[in-house]
Parts: sequence; C-alpha cells; structure tokens
Amino acid sequence: MATKFFGTPVKRREDRRLLTGGSQYTDDLQLTGMVHAAIVRSPHAHARIRSVDVEAARSAPGVVAVFTGKDMEGVAGIPTAWLIPDSDLKTTDHPALARDRVRYVGDGVAVVLAEDRYQAEDAAQLVQVDYEILDAVADQVKAVEEGAPQVHDDAPGNRCFLFNTIQGGDLDQAFEDADDVLSFRTTNHRMIPSAIEPRGCVAQYNAASGELTLRMTSQNPHIHRLLLSIVLGVPEHKVRIVTPEIGGGFGSKIAVYADEAVMAFCAMQTGRTVKWVETRRENFQCTTHGRDHVTDVEAAYTNEGKILGLRFKTWANMGAYVSTAAPGVPTWLYGLMLSGVYDVPAVGLEVVGVFTHTTPVDACRGAGRPEATYLLERIVDLVAQRVGLDPVEIRRLNFIGKEKFPHAVAPGVIYDSGDYDAALDRLLEMVDYEAFRSEQAEAREQGRYLGIGLSTYVEICGLGPSSIVGSTGFQGGLWESSVVRVHPTGKVTVMTGANPHGQGEETTFAQVVGDVLGVDIDDVELVHGDTDLVPMGMGTYGSRATAVGGIAAFKAAQKVVEKASKIAAHQLEAREEDLEFEDGRFQVKGTDQGMSFQDVALQAYLAWNLPQGLEPGLEAQSFYDPSNFVFPFGAHACIVEVDAETGQTDIVRYVAVDDCGEVINPLIVDGQIHGGIAFGVAQALYEHAQYDESGQLLTGSMMDYAVPKPGQMPSFELDRTVTPSPVNPLGLKGIGEAGSIGSTAAVANAVADALSPFGIDHVEMPFTPQRVWQAIQQA
Amino acid sequence: MQLSGTHRLALSRLRVWQLLNDPQVLARATPGVKTLVRDGEDRFKAELELGLGPVRGVFAGQVEVRDKQEPSDLTLRVEGNGSVGGIRAEGKLRLEEAGQETLVHYRGTALVAGTLASFGSRLFSGVARKLAAEFFENLQREGNE
Repeated sequence: MATKFFGTPVKRREDRRLLTGGSQYTDDLQLTGMVHAAIVRSPHAHARIRSVDVEAARSAPGVVAVFTGKDMEGVAGIPTAWLIPDSDLKTTDHPALARDRVRYVGDGVAVVLAEDRYQAEDAAQLVQVDYEILDAVADQVKAVEEGAPQVHDDAPGNRCFLFNTIQGGDLDQAFEDADDVLSFRTTNHRMIPSAIEPRGCVAQYNAASGELTLRMTSQNPHIHRLLLSIVLGVPEHKVRIVTPEIGGGFGSKIAVYADEAVMAFCAMQTGRTVKWVETRRENFQCTTHGRDHVTDVEAAYTNEGKILGLRFKTWANMGAYVSTAAPGVPTWLYGLMLSGVYDVPAVGLEVVGVFTHTTPVDACRGAGRPEATYLLERIVDLVAQRVGLDPVEIRRLNFIGKEKFPHAVAPGVIYDSGDYDAALDRLLEMVDYEAFRSEQAEAREQGRYLGIGLSTYVEICGLGPSSIVGSTGFQGGLWESSVVRVHPTGKVTVMTGANPHGQGEETTFAQVVGDVLGVDIDDVELVHGDTDLVPMGMGTYGSRATAVGGIAAFKAAQKVVEKASKIAAHQLEAREEDLEFEDGRFQVKGTDQGMSFQDVALQAYLAWNLPQGLEPGLEAQSFYDPSNFVFPFGAHACIVEVDAETGQTDIVRYVAVDDCGEVINPLIVDGQIHGGIAFGVAQALYEHAQYDESGQLLTGSMMDYAVPKPGQMPSFELDRTVTPSPVNPLGLKGIGEAGSIGSTAAVANAVADALSPFGIDHVEMPFTPQRVWQAIQQA
Repeated sequence: MQLSGTHRLALSRLRVWQLLNDPQVLARATPGVKTLVRDGEDRFKAELELGLGPVRGVFAGQVEVRDKQEPSDLTLRVEGNGSVGGIRAEGKLRLEEAGQETLVHYRGTALVAGTLASFGSRLFSGVARKLAAEFFENLQREGNE
C-alpha cells in the first residue's frame, strides 16, 4: 500500500466546523413540540423518602407532566455490563428514579416536564420531598468498618465485590527471598471527568410505529441502544441512538445513566419530544467520577534493587450504585498492569469494591491504568532511594528487556511489543539528565528546591480480543466494525462504530482509507454516531478507536479493493494478477492500459459489464476482532520547583517520549498527548473530588473543583519512539489515554525528589500548596 | 461541621434565660427568621431566609428546644429544607454567671446539604460565626429594652 497520507500531519478536518460554530451539540437541537425536563435530585447523601408531593408542581405554569419513582416502577433497573466472575459481585437494584431511598447527593427523585426549561426548573422546586435523613458514609475504608451506615440492604458490610483473581508467580517465595520489604498505604483520589459539554438527551417516541429515538451524548451508541432497549422494554431494532457532536467524554459518556432512561420514559408516556441537558452542577453530582482507590502496597526487593514481588490490597470506592463498566476498572484494567514495564516475577492483588453514599465511579481517562502506574512508579523510586540507586538505574535494572517480547507478565497478559530502554534513552537525552542533576544541586545550595520525576509506563489498550474480555466478565465482544461504501462517483463513505468524541477519527480514518483506495482524503467522509446508519459498533474508550476501529476500516477498504480489482480486470480484459493498483489506478503491468478507481466504482453501479456472478455495487463491511490487546508505553519526565515558603509547586519542564506504534497523524497524536498530560498533571496538582463526612460533595462547582486553565500547564516537549504492534496489520497501538497514565506519577516523583532535602520521600496527592507546606513543616 | 464559641451578654443569667424562652424574642433576634410559630411544647415551625455566598434561599423547618435545665442549660435543634438544600443543626447552650453579666457558651454540629453544601460550604463556618454574633447582639438589644 502506498502511504500518501499515513504518517503525515494532516490538519484535523473536524476543526473547521468546531472552530467556526458549525457543530451541533445535543443542547443545540430544537425539535418541534419539544418539552423540557428538570430532575428533582436528592440534597441528601442518604435518606428514606417518606413521601413525594408533586401537586404544586403539576399545577405550576407550563408544566406538562411530573413523574416519580413510583410511576416508573415498570421500568427495569439500570444495568451493569461488566460482571466480574468469581468476585461475589453485587450489582443491586438501581431504579431510574429513587423509590424509597436516596443513596447519594444527586440521586433522582422526580422529573418535571414543562414547555420551557425555566418553567421546568421552577416547578421542580415545588416538588415537596419528605426525607428522613439517615447516616451516610463517603469513605470506602470507613464504609467497610463494623457499624458503618449501609448503602444497600443486600450488600452486607457495603461490599460490592471481592476480587483476588490476579495472582501470578510465587509471592511467598518472592517475599522470602527478598532482602527487604517496602510497605505503605496511599490514596489515588477521586477525579471528576468534567467534559466541557455536559450530558444531555432529546427523546422522541412514535407510538404508532413504536420507534424510540434518543439523541444523546454517548461514546458508544450501539451499547446504549442495547442496554436502553433492555431497560425500557423497547425492542432493540425499534431503538435508534444518535450522537450529535460530543464535547468530550473522558469515560463519562460510556455509562448507561438513569437520566436518559427517564427521558425516554417521559417521551413514551407523554408522546412529546423531551429534552434534558445537565447543568454543570448536575454534571459534578451525577455524571460518573473516576479513580478513588486506597491501596496498601508491599514490595519485596533485593539490596541490589531488583523487585521480586508486589502485593497490593485496594479498597475501590464504587459509589452508591455499580455503573455500567465500573467493576472492570479497579480489577482487570488496573490489576493486569500492576507489574508495568518491570520484569516482576510475582504479583498479587486483592480488591475490595465498596459501596458508599457517593456518585457512582466508572471509567475516567486511563481507567485503572493511571492508578497502577502511580503505584509502580512510586514503588521503584522509593526502593531506589532505600538501596541507593538513581531512579534511572533502578528502572533499567528492572525493565523487561526488548528481546523478551512478546512477554507474558505475572498478572496474566502477554505484552505484544516494547522497547522501554529506547524511550528512556531518548527522554534522558531530551532532558539532559546529568546537567539537570548538577543544576539541582546548585539550586539547593541557594535554597531552591528543584525535583525531577521519571515515569516509565505501559498501558493495556485496543480493547480488546472478544474471547479474552468475555472471560473477564465483560458482557459483550470488543471487536469493531466498519463499512466502506464507494459511491458511483468514486466518493467514499466510511462508517465506524468507534464513535469519536474528540479523537480526530474523521481525519485519521480518512487517511487510512484514502491510502488503501488511492483516493484523496477529501473524497472520504466518516459517518458515525447513528445506530440507523452505522451497522454495528462498540464505541470509543480504552484507546481502542484507531487500533481496533481503524483496522476494521482498513480491512473493509481492502475488501473494496479486492472487488474493484475483479471489476477492473474484467473491464480491461486482463487477468487479476496482471494488474497493479497504485495511486488510485488499476494498471495492466507493462502496458498503458488501465482505469481509475473512480471509473471502476461507476462500472460497479452501472453493472452493464461485470464479471459473471459478481454482484453490483462497491462496498464492504468488516468486523475486526484483534488477537491481543496492544501495549503502548513511554517515558515521561517532569521537572518541578517547590517553593518551601508557600508549598507552591510549579512545573518547570515537562518532557515526554511516547510509543504508540505506527503513527497515522503526528499532529493528532501530539494533541492527544497534550490533553492526556494535562489531565494527569491536573490530578497530581489540582483536581480533587471531596466529600464531607455526611456525603455532601464539597467540590460541586468549577469554583471548587480545580480543572486547570491553559496557563497552569507548561509547554510540553514531546518526542516518540516507534515500536510497531505485531497485533494488527498497521502496527497501531493507542494514544488517547497515554498522557494521563504516565503524567500523574511523573509529577508525584518530581515533588518527592524536590522535597528530599527535607527528608521527605512521599507526599499524598494532590500537591496543593497547603499539603506540601504541611509536609515541609512536619518534616 | 463543628461550631463553638462564647458570647458575653451584659444581662443577668435569669434575664438571658427568659429571653431565650420567649418565641417572640427568638423570632426577632434570629437572623433571617421570617416567621416562628409555636407547634407544641418547646417546638416551633420556622421560616428562614438565608444566604451563603452565591446561594440564597428560603427554608421551612422546625426548631425544637430540648434538655432544659433552668436557668443554665438547653439544647436547640434546627432542621430546615428549602430549594437550595437543607440544614440540620444541634447546639448546646450553657449560661454561666459572670458577676452581673452572663457568658453564653455554645457548642454544636451543623450538617448542610444540597446546593448549600456544594457551593456554600467554604463560607459556612464564617457565616455561622457572623450569624451567631448577630443573634447575641440582637439578644442584648432585646434585653436592654
């Protein structure tokens, strides 16, 4: 295949409409006869509902209908789609509107429909809910203690699950052979994904045809179609999910939420088109959060700095209900990566999933892998310090050597490829590590505290081989599908089920397909986000869109070329093997006989002269199911300066070398890394979702939850190494989450390094001035 | 949230006790109280208007006086709900004689819920202290009349 577009920095084709206001988001939709919904939400983390009085709301101006949990009794509960085997998982009932108990601040109690949003909001305030306030618990470690308030009657001790399937190697032997053991407890605090566009939904029901259409913010419309069909009892083929432009997801638009089911129910009950868009406060309270682990670490190591075994016990806060993919995040996506880039012979993990009176937790950019990387990178730095090694040396000593790939790691997966030394070499060169160490020593003499943090990470991406994800309890296959449709004029429509929401697929998929078909990328349009147009798909998350969805498009395009080649050979009266296809032209080798791809397309539809038995038309579909996950990796370095007087941490430099295999579009890869690093740095320095002891979300607004502004980020210095994945024909991996997986740990290690003159080797995130200052005072 | 403090009133202990047990006085002295209606022995229905930073709202609730030990001790329990959230507070008051004057010690806990919590919690302890100060100033004025 000639690669005219593959690997080139084509500008994102979607940006023109995004930057000029030409996009249409869910909230932009104005449909005839539309009514607006407002949801009455619990102000209490835990309360019994004594009564709900909706009479005043019903008679308020403009109100069309009011529904409560009782009205929705016939609607099935909100499902969980990742049922971890051998884990005692309790998914518990999750009604779309609470019936007798509310279990977190923001739990929906009633919904008001009115002619406009203002009337709906005003009337929602008239709904009188009589609550008997009950004790609540927000912290997962407290929630499993004796006598803690119970979230669900059928989950005793607030235990959602106990997972201890990941046990690889001989742990006892490792700890016996060790010279010493490092033990510590650390928290990976809760994050709120905070997509700029909140969630929203416009629901339409045609009672005559029985068709339900939901235009909604979704990373995975086909999954939403299937699960909402089950919840609402509308047959799957009568449900259509359309995703208008999506303003970011970061994992928060994967889940099936109660709210969308409520809107569908309202549309079905009233026959009106119902629109609901979250307020920012609802987004903080009701859209899934991420992370929130407390972990006890034990690391067995030798005096030479070799890590022999790792034992982890994690309490994962699941929130009040088990969200759609939530059980898979603190178990598989986290546990499988708990040896990281290191050749650790034995790894054991026990995870207690815990119900608390908080917003449900689900995937959040990186989903489990940033948590694993943070632990491992802290472990290697702490061990290095104890055995007197430099952070670079301990990494090199423990890396899985590049000659060992494909490599089966103790937690139980096979890494496809890797060259961790190469990424680290390039990083150190860019940083000029030796020079920095001298600069650091000089600065310390002047009372300035510089620190460098390294983070060498690997992630599990390209989710994933269906048979493997099936064995983990995921209730679906994680193949991806694509249709490549060539029109009679030779223009091309590519359909993908890997629904983009900021990943630039309209550009990268066109680059891939354009190369295969030999057509210009401007002649290729990507269609996505409509279950009636796109035959099938599993969505975009887990850095899978390109490595799985892109390959499906590639393979569908190859099928198109195969058929086109037959037509061309027939028309040119040549044998197929005598044809060569280059730059969009079929040519009979060694002659001037040939025809363009566009001419073949026209002939395919005219069908006047096709080979015997060949169907007219020119399109092909592919379902691509990868044989393995892909394992992107990289090395990040963060240099910080900590002001010992104020505790303020400033990032001086941020350097990253990432390896996502072959690169379709370097501009887009850089953009994904920028966003990812910002996400991870923000966790380390700024963002922290906090509840008080009664389960009130204290960080419930942009004033209180510190999503960073661009000025709070340094200019990133980026480079790449290229280690193609052997899993797929294009050597692709994934890059959407890499930045957030590598960066949090880099900042954490940098802060610890900066504070080492004070005898501090560890500070808990986020590194707010107050925390750092306190650590210095207590040192 | 824990709240505690002490206020000095230039009034005798008995006078302070009487003021604290007079619903009319309480209604006038408590900041934000729009109405206070007796709803049984030592129980009142109240309507309050309060603002915490960007959050303002009207709360409907109950005030209950408990554990009375004349003339020195009582417990106040306040529960209110409104469009911007809810509040539940309990405070013990102890009146201590200090010559001609009285020291009022208070100690209690307050839970706020809803918008009030997510927007206003940073401001809550400051506002609570200010409201307490206002209350005792008003009580002093009531006692002077």
